[in-house]
Amino acid sequence: MQAGDELPQHSVEISREQIAAYAEASGDRNPIHLDEEFAKSVGLPGVIAHGMLQMGLLATWLTQTVGDHRKLKRLGVRFAGMALPGDTLTFGGRVASVDGGVARLEVWGQNQRGERVLTKGIAEVQTG
Amino acid sequence: MSEVVGKQYEPVEFDADEAAVRAFAEAVGADPDAGVPPTFAFIGTFQTGAQMIFDEEAKVNLAMLVHGEQEFSWERHPEVGEKLTAQGRVGADEDRRGLRFLTLETEIKDASGKPIVSSRMLDVIR
Repeated sequence: MQAGDELPQHSVEISREQIAAYAEASGDRNPIHLDEEFAKSVGLPGVIAHGMLQMGLLATWLTQTVGDHRKLKRLGVRFAGMALPGDTLTFGGRVASVDGGVARLEVWGQNQRGERVLTKGIAEVQTG
Repeated sequence: MSEVVGKQYEPVEFDADEAAVRAFAEAVGADPDAGVPPTFAFIGTFQTGAQMIFDEEAKVNLAMLVHGEQEFSWERHPEVGEKLTAQGRVGADEDRRGLRFLTLETEIKDASGKPIVSSRMLDVIR
């Protein structure tokens, strides 16, 4: 990894089943993620993915990109947009700097309309 | 709004047992045989987050709350089978532009009491 390198991008389609599976696995069973009627009653277009599911998918992409999650020292994001079932999220990033065996990456997630849903993403990864 | 800053909650326990790790890995599209996915730590921080947002002293209007930012840093990643403890502490509580920004710092420790993961959760309350 060298400063300026672009990371290979990866896309994932979000499904209702995946959101439900994440609710069970994480313990976050807020009905805005599970109950279409409830979600609409609070002004949402329908059930939405957990922000933490978006971040979890980003972490999976990053793990595949660097080869082993144990190299990941830090990961932070801002949740900037919703993802609904049927949306396709694309994850990408670039190497901002490499110093002392640690690469600092700028990472992001965006939807199929090119709208960023994960912004201010930073990751620190051990190199080698 | 700031009287809750510094408040620490009781530790909560969560296990990186094989079934929990597998379910979490499958939900985030990770290889279920490759160990504990990085954001598995959220299972602990979701519970410490609940302690804060349901704390009457924190006066959180739940209907107006969104998860604004999340950051993890790892001293090391947990392995499958480890018993973990998460303890939350309110790090900041600020009003800006009519919004409330509430930060919960959570320390995740292994069975020997050594901190292995730190989490910073920023909740934004409209």
